[in-house]
Amino acid sequence: MGRSRRDPAPPPSWSVNPLPHPPRPEACGNWVRWGRSMEGKPLKVRTLPGPPHPASPQAHPGPLTVLSFSPGSGQLPTITPTTPISPHPSAGECRPWLGSGSLLPACSPSPPDSPRPSASLVVCGPQASAKSSSHHGSGGSSLQDIRNMWTTATLSQPKLNVQLPTVREDSELEEVSVSAKTLWLDEKAGHDAEGGWEASDGGEDKDRFKPEEPEELELGGDSSQGSRLEEDDSKTDNEKPSSVSSLDISRHTPHRAYWVEQQSRLPLPLTELMENEALEILTEALRSYQSEIGRGHTLTKQLQRYIEGLKRRRNRRLQVLAI
Amino acid sequence: MKLKQGSFLWYLYLDKLYCLLSVRNVKALVEYFHLLDVHRKKTLNDVLFYHFLHHVTDLTRNQITVVFNMLDWNAVGEIGFDQFYMLVCILLAQEQNHLEEQFIFRHSRPVFELLDLDGELKIGPDNLHMYNFLFNIKKQQLRDLYHNFDITGDRLLNYKEFKLFTIFSMDKYQESQKAEKEKKKEKALLKKKLSQVNQSQRESLLGIKPFESISNYNC
Repeated sequence: MGRSRRDPAPPPSWSVNPLPHPPRPEACGNWVRWGRSMEGKPLKVRTLPGPPHPASPQAHPGPLTVLSFSPGSGQLPTITPTTPISPHPSAGECRPWLGSGSLLPACSPSPPDSPRPSASLVVCGPQASAKSSSHHGSGGSSLQDIRNMWTTATLSQPKLNVQLPTVREDSELEEVSVSAKTLWLDEKAGHDAEGGWEASDGGEDKDRFKPEEPEELELGGDSSQGSRLEEDDSKTDNEKPSSVSSLDISRHTPHRAYWVEQQSRLPLPLTELMENEALEILTEALRSYQSEIGRGHTLTKQLQRYIEGLKRRRNRRLQVLAI
Repeated sequence: MKLKQGSFLWYLYLDKLYCLLSVRNVKALVEYFHLLDVHRKKTLNDVLFYHFLHHVTDLTRNQITVVFNMLDWNAVGEIGFDQFYMLVCILLAQEQNHLEEQFIFRHSRPVFELLDLDGELKIGPDNLHMYNFLFNIKKQQLRDLYHNFDITGDRLLNYKEFKLFTIFSMDKYQESQKAEKEKKKEKALLKKKLSQVNQSQRESLLGIKPFESISNYNC
């Protein structure tokens, strides 16, 4: 696209409508997974073997110390070895709600002759960010509570990590609990989703967003979900009553991050917020594309298809939640 | 410059000490960038970039163009994730408790290289003034900057002079923070004293009243 343009962009819609539905446990599953990967592990030093992708969705599990971006320098982004950073003592307010130890490949491979900034911005390690406080100057107390909720959700994860294996152990002995299954399904969906949004299928979404299905699979003996279910299917009838009771228990013990979100009374899954916002931005961009380069242009059609795909995905999710 | 309340960026946190995002924040940002990367090139073109900034901030069209030209340091016409990340950090530094001084201090080299449009390793007053809305450098500060820190006298700042300026402004910022804290403490102390005085007055009144009633009864 040419850089000079005429922009008859309509005024932006400044309203963001939070979806009224409650958060799903599986929406928090990913955060659990990231938190678990961070649990109890010291900071490690790693170096990347080659030029990374700028925004590759595949992130290595495990702790991350520091990742440096070298914009325009042609240098490879590296992870610099650091000792655990002692956090700056500050009035304890909000803590960054995102603090996983996942490794992020970063920099786009830039041409070696680029004259642009060769210095690097560094991603904060979890220890440094864990106790740092940051606040938005504006915003009501209720909105600050949302962020507090997200920060405390990560703080609660160590306890989660203790609980979940026990749940899984029990499920291996008796039956797979609903929460464990949803988590397992989340992990599966998460791995598949890392390939891009096109990879997420309708079937996957159904698995993800239909909590009735794991129960049916468990009882019906459908082995499509994996070996764990196969093991469960081979259990004796004597174990079924105890499994049913464990299912009941697991149904009544909500996911901790979900519970924290519920307590804040303003559940707003992050991915839905991102998608809604992206949809609004891209809809405006589509108008510019249509006016600038025409409706028949390849890029316009590509953008249109992308927006339709996003809308379908969002509607599917809303339908599933409505059930 | 203000971020739109309730937007995705508004929920991100910048570390107050290092002025960076945590790993999980970056992870979410990566996903967000992916959503906006319509053409699967791992970049945002100028139109997408404009609409993104127009949606989440109150920047004007000219300002957005200036930001785009600043970030497009390869002159490719597209913004990659590393530039996007830097932009988000700059936006959040301004949004969250005015961490601009801290941000410029912590990342003086990248900021200097962003402001050095010509690649001459020197910044003129026009450069700084052009990005005033991003880094919130006031006119008076600019004048002081060139008056006090232009050691070479060429009306331009090289990196060392710029670094001195960042150290100086950081010291000033910390002093102002301390002064604010002390003011708050004094206010809190005053409130406590006032409340104590009020309580003592109430107690004294309560003490007088029963005595008066007894004396009236006697009379």
